[in-house]
Amino acid sequence: MKKLIIGAALLGSSMTASAVAPGGPGCGWGNLLFEGSSGLPAHMLATTVNGTSGNATFGMTSGTNGCDTSGSLTYSGDSLLAMNGVLEEVAQDMAVGHGEALTALTVAMQIDTADRAHFDSIMHENFAQIFTRDDVSSGEVMENIQAVMKRDDRLSHYVS
Amino acid sequence: MPAVRAVLCLCALVSGVAANAAQAPDFEALAASARWQALMHVNPGATLRSIGASYVDDADFFLAPDGATDIEAELVATWQALKPKASPARCRFPARYRFLAEQLGWTEAAPLAHCHDYLEWREQMPIGQLVLVFPAAYLNSPSSMFGHTLLRLDANQDPDAVWLSRAINFGAQGGAADNSMFYIWQGLAGGYPGQFSVTSYVEKIRDYAFVENRDMWEYALKLDADDIDWVVRHLWELRGINFDYYFFDENCSFRLLELIKVGRPDAPLMTDLRFAELPVNTVRALYEADLVAQRRYRPSKAGELEALAARLAPAERDLAAALRDDPALTAADRFQAYAPVRRHRIAQVAYQALRLGHREGERDPDVARKSLALLRVIQRNDAPPSEPLTPPAAPEAGHGTQMAHIGAGRQDGREFLSFGYRLTYHDLFDPLAGFLPGAAIEGLDIGLRVDADDGLELESLDLVNIRSLAPRGDFVKPISWFVHAGLEQAPVADHERRLAGFLQGGPGASWRVDDLFAYVFAVGRLESVSRQRTDAALGGGAEIGLALQAQAVQWGVHARWLEFTSHFSRLRTGLTVNLPVSAQNALRGECSRETWRSEAVAGCSVSFRHFFD
Repeated sequence: MKKLIIGAALLGSSMTASAVAPGGPGCGWGNLLFEGSSGLPAHMLATTVNGTSGNATFGMTSGTNGCDTSGSLTYSGDSLLAMNGVLEEVAQDMAVGHGEALTALTVAMQIDTADRAHFDSIMHENFAQIFTRDDVSSGEVMENIQAVMKRDDRLSHYVS
Repeated sequence: MPAVRAVLCLCALVSGVAANAAQAPDFEALAASARWQALMHVNPGATLRSIGASYVDDADFFLAPDGATDIEAELVATWQALKPKASPARCRFPARYRFLAEQLGWTEAAPLAHCHDYLEWREQMPIGQLVLVFPAAYLNSPSSMFGHTLLRLDANQDPDAVWLSRAINFGAQGGAADNSMFYIWQGLAGGYPGQFSVTSYVEKIRDYAFVENRDMWEYALKLDADDIDWVVRHLWELRGINFDYYFFDENCSFRLLELIKVGRPDAPLMTDLRFAELPVNTVRALYEADLVAQRRYRPSKAGELEALAARLAPAERDLAAALRDDPALTAADRFQAYAPVRRHRIAQVAYQALRLGHREGERDPDVARKSLALLRVIQRNDAPPSEPLTPPAAPEAGHGTQMAHIGAGRQDGREFLSFGYRLTYHDLFDPLAGFLPGAAIEGLDIGLRVDADDGLELESLDLVNIRSLAPRGDFVKPISWFVHAGLEQAPVADHERRLAGFLQGGPGASWRVDDLFAYVFAVGRLESVSRQRTDAALGGGAEIGLALQAQAVQWGVHARWLEFTSHFSRLRTGLTVNLPVSAQNALRGECSRETWRSEAVAGCSVSFRHFFD
């Protein structure tokens, strides 16, 4: 019982983190395609001092500033897409048909290795349905991806 | 459940008995063990400050009051603090706990079960593979000129999604307002505390490869899951812990070696004195310790574009440049006449060229519209995957970072011997393999001359000499620049040269055809000559030159004209030829002529240059 409560508390805290993060600066559901990486104060620091701002950057599930850069292994596809700069890379990979960003998305969405090539080709074929506008947001892209998956026999069970 | 509890109690009892039996562990021997030394970050003589003491500069890291200097006392304090069941100290020091448990035979079933924060964090740390990552030199930030290093934690070996991996970084912890010059000063002076941080690797790829356009080299290390367990446990112990940060030796690269040593305490990683630790030497140290399993090259976005563009025919390249500016041209016959595969490749170059200039900065709706239009063209014209890019020579294949030279020459009819030493690192005419083409960084370069009349004299002392020849091409229009400061013999009167302190530099442009660079710089120079009537002279002018950076031979010519405010001018022309004779040795011939008003000082020399680490 106690374990269950702790588990729920952990889950709660990480859910809070990912719910807050998309609204963070330079990151989130409002993130549009081809956003660029302006407004990311951490970048300046990373460039000049090879460092990070001292604000709890230790991969904790809470306390990170800006994007939810926390549980990278537990990234769901949507928090990955919400990260600054990722949406653009996914768009390019889907247009080309393959690539690291697309692979990262399949892993984050927990798509079986055996289905990944199929996922890639379905995403490629349906590019126009996923990237509908040049100012589509990461949230819309995720919805569009799921809509495409729902229509596909092999992929529908991942989103049901 | 009662049965389980009984077993747990029994375990606790047994471990208590074991501890009692080993009433007084041999602390002296334990403290001398390689693992404890690594966990304590003891300086084994790798740098000159406080040998034998811990590098950690933070009271929070130590349980004993004098733990930083007496690691045996720290071991005793750790033993006392970690022994009690459910001790809170175990949650701060999971690696120390593992060390003591293994050494003293503590066999508690779930000794860290009460450490919820640690376990939650640990849950998210992949333990499949540890990788050293080396984003190559970045001339546009002084603190990254020599490159940077970080570690990456992957979920498994040969990971298919390194975007989801973790990055372990050691860096100065500064405020967001800090700029680079201040950082270097503080870094040299030791004014900055440094800390480890853990972030997502995709951010690092974005920062280095996409925004700063630095190639990245990834070296998978031969650490197994057990070794990595040590590293990750210890990483937790370093959360929020301050180290002194020194730009030259105790920097990011040095700290990563220490962390790797926690996983492999017996590896010969810090046996030598490591002054001026450069990232490339960290890589070499790992190779020498036989810790590198595999190397992988991750091109920057600019490098990828350059390579993909080079695969296009000239007419296709022109078309790609046109498409970048106006994607509507994809409807024209000129584009449609190509087969789908070619259309795909051309549109991809156009797209990547467009994005290269717009990854940073405000979102531009017009650029976004063009970008999506090009992506749609790419998507509609299928093509098989492109061949992977051929990596350039790896950084560790380059010549040694230090250099000594000896030679002879003749100037104004007087013969001389020359010799000198350069602490770091590479000039435009040194053997190119492993270095960034068009980039030169020299620090602390001393040149001496002996001749029959004057005896031994300082010919030049470069404190810093950096040149960035960033070629302008169809798709990029970067600014080249140089900055050079130090002492040198400068002509100040007819047939007279004197030692002058100088600072010069300026912006410029360069172009590249195969291995040949052509460049032009605007030059400003501030100079102060000893025993002159005027204290300082300010000059302005221009420099033009050619530099050939081939593998077999390197040569260059240059001319620099300067007009000074104190009514004199100088014209300097020079020729340099460099011939590598082996991996670490080269012959160099140099001729130069410098005019003072109408009088000229001219000379030539040859020298033998030896590189080493």
